[in-house]
Amino acid sequence: MAHSIVSLVSPNELILSQVQELRRGTVVLACLVLLEEPQYGYALLETLNDAGVTVDGNTLYPLLRRLEKQGLLTSEWNTDESRPRKFYRVSPEGSQVRTGLVREWRDIVGSISLLTKDD
Amino acid sequence: MNMAMSTTTLTERYIQEVVRRIPADQRDDVASELRTTIADTVEARDSADPVSAEREVLTEMGDPIRLAAGYADRPPVLIGPDLYPTYLRLLVVLLSTVLPVVTAVLVGIDLFDGKGLGSAIGTGISTVLTVGAQMIAWVTVVFAIVERSRHHDGVVGSTDKWTPDDLPEPRRQNKRGASACASAVWNALLLGLIVWQHTAEPYRAAGADGSVDRLQVLDPGLWSGWIWPILVGLAGLVVLDLVRVAAGRWTVPLAAWSAAAEALFALPLVWVLYQQRFFNPDFLTDFNGDWTTPDSFYTGVILVVLVMSGSAVFNRFREAHQ
Repeated sequence: MAHSIVSLVSPNELILSQVQELRRGTVVLACLVLLEEPQYGYALLETLNDAGVTVDGNTLYPLLRRLEKQGLLTSEWNTDESRPRKFYRVSPEGSQVRTGLVREWRDIVGSISLLTKDD
Repeated sequence: MNMAMSTTTLTERYIQEVVRRIPADQRDDVASELRTTIADTVEARDSADPVSAEREVLTEMGDPIRLAAGYADRPPVLIGPDLYPTYLRLLVVLLSTVLPVVTAVLVGIDLFDGKGLGSAIGTGISTVLTVGAQMIAWVTVVFAIVERSRHHDGVVGSTDKWTPDDLPEPRRQNKRGASACASAVWNALLLGLIVWQHTAEPYRAAGADGSVDRLQVLDPGLWSGWIWPILVGLAGLVVLDLVRVAAGRWTVPLAAWSAAAEALFALPLVWVLYQQRFFNPDFLTDFNGDWTTPDSFYTGVILVVLVMSGSAVFNRFREAHQ
C-alpha cells in the first residue's frame, strides 16, 4: 500500500510555492537581459513586472547590488533629474554570464518540453 | 507642512532601520538609492493621500531587518543550513558525553569533601543546568559568528564538502562505546565511593564530649546485609560495560546479563531507600541538625534510580536488536 503524507496545504498553495522556486533564478536572467540598456531600480521593477517576470522590490533592489558586487553589473549615479538615481547596466562579464544562462535556459525548456510532450 | 514632515520622517526612519544593519561603507549609497526608490514608488501610486500611499509602500517593502539581510547578503538566520548539521552533532556530543563527565567529577569532589549526598545531588543538578546552558550558549554564539563571517567573505556559499566518511553509523557506535565507557567509569567510581566511605569513615561530627567522631555516611548495618548485592551488581555492571566496549556492541545475552546486574544493584538499593535505612542515623542527625529528611526525598531518589536503571536496560536491548 502506498503511503501518503496528509498535508494541510492546498494544491494551489503548493503550486504557488513551487512556482516561486521555479522563478527565483529567472529574475537574474531577466535583469541581465534588460540591463543591456542602463536602468534604475523602480523603472526596472516596472519593466520586469510588465513583462510578466513578477518580483518584489525588496527582492530586486538587494539583488541588483549583489549582482554589482559580483561584477555582473556596473552602476552610475545620474543627477541630471530632480531625484538622483542609480542606474545599473550589464558589465562585459555580465554579458558572458547572460549568454551562458540563456543557453542553459533553452536547454531546460527543451528538456522539459521533451518530458511533457504527452501532456 | 506637517504632513510632509511626518511622511519624510517615516521613510527616513525606515531607511535608518535598514542601513544601520549593513556594512558602514555601503550605508550612504543604499540610503540614497532606497530614498529615491521609495519616492518613485509612492509617486507612481498617484494617490490622493500621499501619507497612506507611503505607508502602503513601506508595508510592501516589509521588515527592515529582512531587507537589510538582503543588502548585507546574509540570510536572516542565526545558523544556516550549511552549519546546522555540524552544530547539532557537536551539541549532542557535548551534552551527552562531556556534560555527564563534568557533572560526575563535581559530584564526586563534593562527596569526597564529605559534603553529604543531599548537597552532592544539589551540585549535580545545578551543574547540569548551568554547565549545560553554558555549552549550548557558547556553541551557539561561536556558530552564529562563523555563519556571519562566512557570508561576509564569499559571494558563493559553502566550501566544506560532505563525504561518506561523515556517515553517522560508525560515529554512533563510537559514541555508544564512549557512553558505555563513561558508564563503567561512573559505576566504578560509585563502587569505590561506597567502599571508601565505609573504610575511611570520612564524615567528621562533633561528639558529645567535644571530641571529633568519624562517621560513615551510609548505614553501617548495611554491611551485614543489603550492601553486598548492591556492590556485586555494580561490579557486574562495570565488567559488562567493559565487555560491551571490547565487543563493540550490546548483544542480547550481554544485555540480559547486564539487566540482571542492574536488577541486583537497583532493587536492593530501592528497598533500602524505601525502608529509609540507607544513611547512617548518626550522620543524618549531625548533618541535618534540627531538620528531618522528608519522605519525599527518598521517594524522589527511588524514582531517579528506577528511571535511570530502567532506561539503561531498555537502551542496551534496543541497541542489541538493531
